[in-house]
Amino acid sequence: MRRLLTLLTVFVCSFLLTALSSAEITLRMSVWDGDKALETIKAIAKNFEKENPGIKVRIENYDYTLYHQKMVITYAAGVAPDVVMMDGSHYQFLAARGALLPLNQFFEKSPGFDINEFYKPIVDSYTYKGDLYILPRDIAPIGLIYYNKKIFEELNIPFPDGTWTWDFHVRPELRDKDFLWVCQQMAKKDKDGRYTRWGFAPFDYGNFAENLALQLGALRYDNIAEPTKSLMDAPNRIKAYQFASDFSNKLHLGPSNSDAAGSLMMTTQQMFVQQKIGMYQCGIWEVPNMRKMLKPGSPEWFDWDIALAPSHAGPGGVKKFTTGGSGYAIMASTKNKEAAWKLTSYFSGPPGMTAMAKAGIAQPAIRPLALQKGLWLPGPETPIEEQFPKNRIITDTATEFVQFDPTSEFHISVSDRQNKGLELLWNGQTTAEKILKENQIQAQDRLDILRAQHDLPDFNWIVAAIIAAIFIGSILFYIYWPERGKKGTQMQVEETRSSYKFLSPWLIGMVAFTLGPMILALLMSFADWDMIRTAKWRGTQNFVEAFTTDPTFWKSLTITAIYTFLSVAISICGALGLALLLNQKIKGVALFRTLYYIPSITSGVAAALIWMRVFNPEKGLLNYILYGPDGKWALGESLSVSIMGEATKRVDWLQTEKTALIALIIMSAWGIGGGTVIFLAGLQGIPQHYYEAATLDGAGNMAKFKAVTLPLLSPTIFFSSITGIIGAFQAFTQAFVMTQGGPNDATRFFVYHIFGNAFQSARMGYASALGWVLFVIIMFFTLVQMKLSKRFVYYEAEAK
Amino acid sequence: MAVATKHSPEDYKKSAQRAQNTAKVLRGLMWVALLIGVVASLIPFYLMLVMSLKTPGEIAASSVWEMPKVMQWSNYSKVLQNQNAPFFMFFRNSMIISTTATIGVLLSSSMVAYAFARLKFRGRDRMFNILLSTMMLPGIVTMVPQYVLWKYLGWIDTFYPLTIPAFFGGGAYNIFLLRQFLMGIPRDIDEAALLDGANHSTIFWRFMMPNMGPALATVGIFCFIYNWRDFQGPLIILNSPEKQTLELGLQTYRAMNQNQWELLMAGSVIVLIPILILFFVGQRFFVKGIVMTGIK
Repeated sequence: MRRLLTLLTVFVCSFLLTALSSAEITLRMSVWDGDKALETIKAIAKNFEKENPGIKVRIENYDYTLYHQKMVITYAAGVAPDVVMMDGSHYQFLAARGALLPLNQFFEKSPGFDINEFYKPIVDSYTYKGDLYILPRDIAPIGLIYYNKKIFEELNIPFPDGTWTWDFHVRPELRDKDFLWVCQQMAKKDKDGRYTRWGFAPFDYGNFAENLALQLGALRYDNIAEPTKSLMDAPNRIKAYQFASDFSNKLHLGPSNSDAAGSLMMTTQQMFVQQKIGMYQCGIWEVPNMRKMLKPGSPEWFDWDIALAPSHAGPGGVKKFTTGGSGYAIMASTKNKEAAWKLTSYFSGPPGMTAMAKAGIAQPAIRPLALQKGLWLPGPETPIEEQFPKNRIITDTATEFVQFDPTSEFHISVSDRQNKGLELLWNGQTTAEKILKENQIQAQDRLDILRAQHDLPDFNWIVAAIIAAIFIGSILFYIYWPERGKKGTQMQVEETRSSYKFLSPWLIGMVAFTLGPMILALLMSFADWDMIRTAKWRGTQNFVEAFTTDPTFWKSLTITAIYTFLSVAISICGALGLALLLNQKIKGVALFRTLYYIPSITSGVAAALIWMRVFNPEKGLLNYILYGPDGKWALGESLSVSIMGEATKRVDWLQTEKTALIALIIMSAWGIGGGTVIFLAGLQGIPQHYYEAATLDGAGNMAKFKAVTLPLLSPTIFFSSITGIIGAFQAFTQAFVMTQGGPNDATRFFVYHIFGNAFQSARMGYASALGWVLFVIIMFFTLVQMKLSKRFVYYEAEAK
Repeated sequence: MAVATKHSPEDYKKSAQRAQNTAKVLRGLMWVALLIGVVASLIPFYLMLVMSLKTPGEIAASSVWEMPKVMQWSNYSKVLQNQNAPFFMFFRNSMIISTTATIGVLLSSSMVAYAFARLKFRGRDRMFNILLSTMMLPGIVTMVPQYVLWKYLGWIDTFYPLTIPAFFGGGAYNIFLLRQFLMGIPRDIDEAALLDGANHSTIFWRFMMPNMGPALATVGIFCFIYNWRDFQGPLIILNSPEKQTLELGLQTYRAMNQNQWELLMAGSVIVLIPILILFFVGQRFFVKGIVMTGIK
């Protein structure tokens, strides 16, 4: 009997167990890795699924530039992934709002897990107010220089041993101990005086400048964890940033941004591979790419290695490098905490990191793994193509000198202002002093506003309800008051009833999707709300901020207005002219009509990509036309002098403050085919007998156009200009894809400004206020046009 | 004061001949101008196509005009086979969203337009003004509150926010166009039908809908293209890679493959082809339909 019972229990238990385990869990995990690293990530996930039956993993990959906004809004919407890749400059925003789970509770009870095995600096930087939020996966000090051994041998310079220093000028007396001297030796020019080889380039000049600033002891904030002051205009920071710009633009020791991305259309990494630069600064993550492009034995191959980057030599100079590095965090919204931890510790732990290290993608944050020969460091059995770079031990040395990003929840939003317009500096179009002082003011304003959030009162629902009631009341009043108390006949009542039947879809949609959200937006415009915390009451402060302290408000409004008027004017004149031509009896006119229409249906992103090539300084179509095939036409040269300030530089349309907006206006003219169709329809609606009558009266072509075409077409012009202005005021996609609002906010359209505040800085209240301002502006312009139209627009019906 | 001069029939003939000649020359000039314009506006497409068939080395070294030495068709298969940016899936998603939204718009906007064009009810004109004023409302204003609404409905990362609203009104612009068209249909039809005891839904379905063909086709194509090209909506609402539309997917692909222009251009071509096909199939409705709706 007892046996039977035991058997039965075992049976039931095993049944329950299988039932439980077959209740499969799916964990969603989001990453921002590029195409290449994704393969490894997916392979690790497959292994995890094998070792943990019952758990499925779904990898979601996002664009890094939108990654953090996505995490914030998906968390706010309750659809966030379970495990998310995170980095040191973005997690604090989520951690401060309780959106990430503190990991201490998990690792403290995980047997065999030792947090002390991880590099300490990265653990410290992922700890927010005493709790660890990201389990570090890799550490990637950007204190490495990839160097081309062949060039060093050619110039008879010994390979770098990491003891380099640099100062603000070349020091020939130090020879190869001076970094700048080495760079200078490597530079090469062709017979026209154009550089064909440079000494050094960083993967990103912003990062290069930041490294220099750190070495001069200039930090971004007075306190990186609890900042009260942004320090973008500190003298040493200005000095460092100016030097980073001069390095390429004045000293020509490296290719400038426009040399690299512009003329050669390649990243500085590609330049290194093609031996156009001797040294390249970046984190270790580029190794798989390098190995792929420089296969031993291939014609491209040359011997290369890595060395510790130089540090500043002057007094007070410290050895400091910025760093990459990332890890995995668990969203507080996950329903499977334990499984999520399993996955996190698998990916950041030995199983995941072994695979990542072997692929050469990431230096493990677990130090024993990072030091293991044959894994991260090359060992005797490492295949030849994975031997490079040999000197990988310095990735360990470099971690002593890393400085992590600021660790406050405000940094994402403030850094948007701190780094504004720096691309102009790297192109040599402005000075560090000018741009950093401007950025400092905006960054400090932003920081003050964000810091004040905590002290705001709760959202005032009573006032909000009153505002909403007034809004709804005035609409109803407008519709029904003039006809109040009218009694209809039986038939009229019937007709009203069936009218409402027909209107019902619209009425529902209007209330639910337009009017309701509009009122909510109006209420939100009085709030301070980040989508996660409860809303606070800011009263009219959002509007006051817009009109008084937000410098980008006026700037973006101005450029949007300029864009709108010019692009609408061009498109109306162009479309009218084109329609007149297309209305003639010409051979193949139907085909012409079709072909002209094509650009206006082109996908916005694809169009933006093509036009980026058209505006490219060296290989672009526009400059090809302006400068001629040999690049020596006078028109181009005078343009260069007046816009770029130098006769030898070609206009970099999208990267120059003065021309970026013009470029977008030119691009908008490409879409005139859309307006042409409407004008064509208008032209075809003009009765032919008007023209016949005019001909009989002896009118010439010009007179006919003035007396017949224009007046009869005026309603079409009116219609086109109204819809054109409404559309142009909302321009967004071009700026989003092509310029990201830059350079220096020169194409930060108003809608982009709203978008940035709403989704990049998570300031929904302020964004709503801006949205309402835009609505009122558009309404104003439409009403003005309506008023003017009474004078200029000719309606046939009225004349009859 | 005009002085009458005598003209012989010869003179008339001559001047007629001259006028004809001028007209011919003029027409020739116009044709050339149109041709130049067309070539100019299609050049970007040529550049895109050429670049999509080059190797990265050729893009860096050769002139923009030059044809590739060997056509790199593999660029296209590389793009299409990318596991992380499933273009076929993007195409399917764009298709589903655009088609559903277009059906919704056609159904609901024609109903609403009918009421505004042919029925009398209290507050009609002012209600129509309200409708028109929503045309001026920037999408970004309602974006955040709508997002909150989708969140409560559990619609984030689904196609619903991009399709369902189309069934409720269908957009002021479309209603406006269809109303213009309906106002042009003679009133006698309704009156006769009403006398025969028909109600308004019969009139709408039996008499109006069949007559609205060209106008519906125009609105339908406009609406389809609008939804196909929509970027901001999917950008905010769709998160999962396999739910993205072509337009958004291209941007996602671009983010993963910065600076690989041959692939980006191949991707752009892939994104453009379906909409071009649709346009060529439906193009006769564009001009014709717009004339009939009589935009004014």
